[in-house]
Amino acid sequence: MSRVLKTAQNQGLVSCHTCHLLCRSAGPDAIMTCPRCGTRIHRRKPNSIKRTWALVIAAFIFYIPANVLPITIVVSLGQAQSDTIMSGVIYFIKSGMWPIALVIFVASVFVPLLKLIILTILLITVQRKSSWRQKDRTRLYRITEVVGRWSMVDIFVVTILVALVQLGGLASIQAQPGAVFFCAVVIITLFAAMSFDPRMIWDTEESLNE
Amino acid sequence: MSDPKKDVSEFNEVPEAEVRSRKRHFSISIVWLVPLIAVLIGGWLVFKAFSEKGPEISITFKSAEGLEAGKTKIRYKDVELGQVTKIELTEDLSMVVVTAELVKQAENFLSVNTRFWVVRARVGVSGVSGLGTLFSGAYITLDPGEPGNISHYFKGLENPPLVTTDLPGRHFLLKTESRGSLDIGSPVYYRRIQVGQVVAYDLAEDGQTIIFKVFINAPYHEYVYQNTRFWNASGIDFKIDTQGVQVDTESLVSILIGGISFGIPHEAAPSPTAEGEAVFNLFKNQAEAKARTYLVRTKTVLYFDESVRGLDIGAPVEFWGIQMGQVLDVKLVFDNDKKDFRIRVLVETETERFYEAGFVGSDVDRQKMLEGLLARGFRAQLKTANLLTGKQVVILDFFPDAEPATLTNEGGYPIFPTVPAPMVEISTKFMQILDKIDRLPIDQIGKDLRDTVHGAKQIAESPDILEAIRNLNATLAETRLLVSDLRTKVTPEINSVLEGARQSLANAEQILNADSPLQVKMNTALEEISGAARSLRLLMDYLERHPESLLRGKGQAE
Repeated sequence: MSRVLKTAQNQGLVSCHTCHLLCRSAGPDAIMTCPRCGTRIHRRKPNSIKRTWALVIAAFIFYIPANVLPITIVVSLGQAQSDTIMSGVIYFIKSGMWPIALVIFVASVFVPLLKLIILTILLITVQRKSSWRQKDRTRLYRITEVVGRWSMVDIFVVTILVALVQLGGLASIQAQPGAVFFCAVVIITLFAAMSFDPRMIWDTEESLNE
Repeated sequence: MSDPKKDVSEFNEVPEAEVRSRKRHFSISIVWLVPLIAVLIGGWLVFKAFSEKGPEISITFKSAEGLEAGKTKIRYKDVELGQVTKIELTEDLSMVVVTAELVKQAENFLSVNTRFWVVRARVGVSGVSGLGTLFSGAYITLDPGEPGNISHYFKGLENPPLVTTDLPGRHFLLKTESRGSLDIGSPVYYRRIQVGQVVAYDLAEDGQTIIFKVFINAPYHEYVYQNTRFWNASGIDFKIDTQGVQVDTESLVSILIGGISFGIPHEAAPSPTAEGEAVFNLFKNQAEAKARTYLVRTKTVLYFDESVRGLDIGAPVEFWGIQMGQVLDVKLVFDNDKKDFRIRVLVETETERFYEAGFVGSDVDRQKMLEGLLARGFRAQLKTANLLTGKQVVILDFFPDAEPATLTNEGGYPIFPTVPAPMVEISTKFMQILDKIDRLPIDQIGKDLRDTVHGAKQIAESPDILEAIRNLNATLAETRLLVSDLRTKVTPEINSVLEGARQSLANAEQILNADSPLQVKMNTALEEISGAARSLRLLMDYLERHPESLLRGKGQAE
C-alpha cells in the first residue's frame, strides 16, 4: 500500500480509557495500567469479538421468548387478556392507531432485531478482516449505539402501567415473563454494542499495511 | 514518514504504560456464560412449553356466541385448563368447530364420556346461573364423565347438563305414555323436598312410551325402593268431593315447569332399595300411583252386533262390580261372511286380578277352567251404567241361557264371546205391556159408554122433564114475590128493632160505666153483702162450737 495511516496502534501507543492519557505500549500481550490514574489500559477492548459474539448470541436466544411470551396481562372486570408485543401492535393497527403501532413496532421489534443483525454483520466482517465499506460499517455501529437505548421505552411503559393501573377488580395490569426477556434482550444488546470495538473495523488496513 | 522506528522516537516523551504481572488467564472467557445462561433459560422454556403442552381438542357447537379465539378459557371447577385457539365453521356451515389447547393435566380425564358446554348467563324458571360471565365473558367448562376411550373430538352440549359426574346420587328410568308438562330440569320431590330432577327424556325404541331419566341426589336415592311408585306432580290437583274442595300441589315451581313425586303405596311391604337405572312406571297422579295397580294386562277383542253409543275409550270392564280393565278401542268393521256391520271393541283386562282371586295354575289349566266358565255362560255384555248420561260399560257375567261359544283368536288377540245388551230385554217387556193393552175390551167399553150417553139423552128429552122445569119456574116466581114481601114489610120492622136494641145497649153501657151511680151503689151493696156473709160465717163458727147457745143464749164467760 502506498498510503499508510499513522495510528496509535502502529506507533506502539495506547490511550487510557478513563483519563485519556497517551502512553507507550509495553508490548502486544502485556497487561498495562495507566501511569497517571492507574486504570487498566488495553490497546483494543479485550476479547471484544468473543464477548460481543457471546452477548449477541444470548440476545438472539432471548429475542425469541421476548416476542413469543406475553409481556402484559390486562385483567379488566374479571376478563384477563394477555398480550405479546406483536399482538399489541396488531391491536393498535386494528383500532386505527397507526402512529402508536409504528412506534411500538420500530422501538420494540425492529430496532432490537436491527441492532443484533448489524452487530452480527460487523463481527463477521471484522473476523474476516474485510475492508468492505468500512466507513458505512462504522456509521452502522454508531446508529446501533445511539438507537439501542430507545428500545427500553417499552419496558418503561410496561413498568409505569403496572404501577399505575392497579384498580382492584376494575382493571389491573401485570407484567409477564415476556417483559423480562425483552428487557434482557435490550440490555444484552447494549452491552454487546459496548463490548464491540469499532477500531477493529479499521485494523484490517494496518494488518494489510504490515 | 512511513518509517516506524523514526515514528517511535517521536513519542519518546510519552510515558510508558506500567506493566502488571500477568494473571492466570482462562482460555474461555467468562462472557460465554451469558449465552450459556440464555441457552439454558431458552431450553428450559422450550422444554416447559412442550412438557405442559396438552392435547388439542375440537368441540362442535351450534353457535360460537360469546366465544373468542385466544381469549375464551376452558375451566373446570374454575381452574383454567386451556384456551380456545381457533373457531371456525364446519364445511357445511351448520356447526362451529372450536379448537382448544388444554394443559397436560387434562389428558388424564379426557374420554368419550367427557362433555363440554359453554357457561353463559342463563335465566330459567328453576333459577339463574352464570351471572359472573356477564363481565368475564363466556367460558367453556366440562364434565369429565366416566373414564373411557380417549377422544379428542367432542360434541358440545347446548345446555349445561343437570347432573355432573361428581354429583353423588342415582339415575332411574320412568316409563310413561305422555310427556305431559315435564321437561328437562323438572324437579323430583320426595315428601315435598326436592331431591332430584329430570335429566333427559326420550321416546322408547318401540315409539309407544316416553322414558324419562331422573337423577335422585344422594342420600335421597336410598328412599327409592323396588316397589316405589313415581307419579306426575305437575300442576294443581283440584278435587271436589263430599269432603269439600281439595287443592293439592307440590310447589310453585312444579306448577310452572311440572314435577315428579315418589313414594311407596300404603299397603306395600318394605322392599330392597332399587338399583341405579332401574325402570319404573310414571303414574298420572298420586291417586293412581297409590291405587292398587296391576301391570300384567291382556288384550281381548269383543264383537257386538248392536249400538255401542255411550261406550267411550277408557270405559271400565267390570265383573260383578269390580273393575277388571278398560276399553282401549272401539271401531266399526264389516263382516264379509255375514255381510253385516259389527262393532269391534278392544279391551284390556288386568289378568292379575283373576290370578289374585285364586284363578291360578298352568296355562293349560287356566285355559280349561276358562272353557268351563264359558260353558256356564261366562260372557261379556254392554250395560248402561248411567241412565242420565247414557254411558255404557262392558260387564262380564254368567248368562246360563246364552248360546254356546268358545274362545277364538284374531290377530293375536283372543275373541271373547258376547251376549246382546239388556236393551233387548227391555223392549221385550215393552211388547208384553203392549199385548196387555191390546187385550183390553175397548170395544165393549165404548159400547157401554155409548149406551149410557144414549140413556142420558132420552132422559133429557122426556116431557116429564119439561113439566118439571115449568113447575120449577112457577116456584121460582113465587119465591121472588115472597122475597119482595120480605124486603118491603119485614125489613122496616127489623130496622126499628135494631134501633131499640142499639139504644138498650147504649143504656147498658152507661150503666156499666165505672163512674155510673149504679156501679157505685152496686159496689156498696156488694160490700154490705160480703160484710153480712162474714158475720154469718162467724155466727156459724160460733154455733158449731157452741150449739147449746141456740137454747141458752150466749153464755157468760165461765
